[in-house]
Amino acid sequence: MKILTTVKKVVDVELNIHVESGAIVEDGLQYVINAWDENAVEAAVVLKENNGAETTLVSLGGGDMTDIIRKCYAMGIDNGIHVDDPALEKADSSVYAKVLQKVYETGEYDLIITGKQAQDTDSGQTGIMLAEYLSIPCVSNVIEIQVVDDGNIKVSRLGDAGTEIVEVALPAVVTVSDSINEPRLPAMRGIMMAKKKKIETTDLAGLGTSYDEVGGNALKSEVVEFMKSETRQAGQKFEGDAAELAVKVVDLLANEAKVL
Amino acid sequence: MAKILVVADIKQGVLKGSTAELLSKAKALGAETAVVAIGSNIESLVPELVSAGSDTQYIADDAGLELFSAGPFATCVVEAANQFDADLVWFGFSESGKAAAPRVAARMDIACATEIIDVNLDNGIEITRPAIANKVLQKVKVNTDKLVAVVRAGAFEADESVSGSENVVKLPAPEADLKAVIKELLSDASGEIDLADADIVVSIGRGAKDQAGVDLVKGLASDLGAGFGSSRAMVDGGFMAHNKQVGQTGKIVAPTLYMAFGISGAIQHLAGMNGSKVILAVNKDPEAPIFNVADYGIVGDLFEVVPVLREEIKKVRG
Ligand SMILES: Cc1cc2nc3c(=O)[nH]c(=O)nc-3n(C[C@H](O)[C@H](O)[C@H](O)COP(=O)(O)OP(=O)(O)OC[C@H]3O[C@@H](n4cnc5c(N)ncnc54)[C@H](O)[C@@H]3O)c2cc1C
Ligand SMILES: Nc1ncnc2c1ncn2[C@@H]1O[C@H](COP(=O)(O)O)[C@@H](O)[C@H]1O
Repeated sequence: MKILTTVKKVVDVELNIHVESGAIVEDGLQYVINAWDENAVEAAVVLKENNGAETTLVSLGGGDMTDIIRKCYAMGIDNGIHVDDPALEKADSSVYAKVLQKVYETGEYDLIITGKQAQDTDSGQTGIMLAEYLSIPCVSNVIEIQVVDDGNIKVSRLGDAGTEIVEVALPAVVTVSDSINEPRLPAMRGIMMAKKKKIETTDLAGLGTSYDEVGGNALKSEVVEFMKSETRQAGQKFEGDAAELAVKVVDLLANEAKVL
Repeated sequence: MAKILVVADIKQGVLKGSTAELLSKAKALGAETAVVAIGSNIESLVPELVSAGSDTQYIADDAGLELFSAGPFATCVVEAANQFDADLVWFGFSESGKAAAPRVAARMDIACATEIIDVNLDNGIEITRPAIANKVLQKVKVNTDKLVAVVRAGAFEADESVSGSENVVKLPAPEADLKAVIKELLSDASGEIDLADADIVVSIGRGAKDQAGVDLVKGLASDLGAGFGSSRAMVDGGFMAHNKQVGQTGKIVAPTLYMAFGISGAIQHLAGMNGSKVILAVNKDPEAPIFNVADYGIVGDLFEVVPVLREEIKKVRG
């Protein structure tokens, strides 16, 4: 089985993010692997360990990807492709999905695993659109993947009515939730080996396409302004005897906030 | 006049509140409204769909649509969108909506936006949405004539005075997706209050520690008739079902009162509840980040605080 996982470099959401005159202040930002893509990488490596598979990751844009790709190598990914093209800096999910379609077509993969969403966009569209463009099945928000045989997998998906067990014919796209696994910390040996591995770098022309063809010159939507989100103010905080505080807080909830 | 198609949010045969919220917003924007309802044995919902504010009801009612499958679901939405010639297609905030919206957008070759909280139609289509785990808001300009969007939970309010008119259009049953077949649905425990509907949500985190802690706080939730949710830590720990998780990968809730017991307040959790009207946090660590968003905070051990809270609340509520 050949597995392709998608990995995006995103801004570290644990750090403060400042907005000024409609844009995010670059100063002080740090970039890390998208958390859900780390789950996708772990899922691919687990399938490789349990069932045998060749695992490839692809990342679009993001400038220097060496550290992130090496980390994924150390986790157990076999090959890394970095599509590095300045034209990809300001793209949307549909454009990324069309570029991924080109990557897919050069490699004949059986299974594509993406994160359920990218932490910078929080949009959750790319993997699903990719499947549509490829006319192959897709299951999103997946928390378990099992191989049935060469041509089929069985996945569990968290849906509105409960956990859906879905049998999926390959090739297919699966987008994973963080509930699927706990990404491993790479061992020292893996980290050392990863340093020697090659990273394949290409661009849109190298994939036989152009920014125009993937829709980059006609973005379906674009962010025109960033704004601060309405942050809540810290309210009243009480310390002391539990019984006394309970009386006080219940009174506030009932008579000040009027929510009881 | 803009035309807005709302995809009805139906769960276990029940029409969820988001449908009326989205239709109310559509009416407030001066749009012509339609709704598409997809499922099995759902025709009885028509009167409710009308009073929720739809002027046309597209109904895809078929035994094959009993269990959610994103492909056929999207087919029905595209069919309704085309028949209605919708400018905007809105899904309520649900896993079905998140799974189907990008498909609808890809098939119609139009823009897609998830988690929108506002729409402006004065000059083309412009939407507002949070991004980066709610740390920023984005204003997004839509360059296509049409937009498919998933509306974030709690973004719009239902207007009781809104109503529609009955005009039912039946849609053909879509072809089943033979390449992604649902074999089984492990149904969520029914009979419990759906977090999305609850006026009060009581949630526990790792601080609740064990089953005794879970049961203790659950007792408070049932006293209040509240929804009972949790952080991811308690789901990972096997104490709570997945559908009880509040946060970025769980449910987004915006109740009148959110009570957090033993939850630290990681940004992924906050992203799911910081739209609540009033937040009460109980945590033994005075530095816990949850206190930065809480209107009322008690620094203390939940095992001591919850029993006395229960007593006081009983006194106040009678
Ligand atoms: C991609 C991604 C997605 C995620 N999505 C979600 C999500 O949707 N929802 C979510 O919740 N998390 C999510 N998380 C996890 C999140 O980052 C946190 O790990 C999680 O929310 C922590 O849960 P917690 O607050 O219960 O536990 P902890 O962070 O361990 O906090 C426990 C708290 O309990 C307090 N405490 C301990 N004992 C007591 C006591 N006796 N009385 C009172 N207080 C006590 C402690 O002081 C502490 O503040 C996600 C993480 C990632 C990476
Ligand atoms: N530039 C990119 N490079 C690699 N993968 C991407 C990129 N953009 C999106 N993806 C994948 O698509 C998923 C969903 O992204 P999004 O639609 O932006 O939320 C991410 O978790 C990634 O796995």
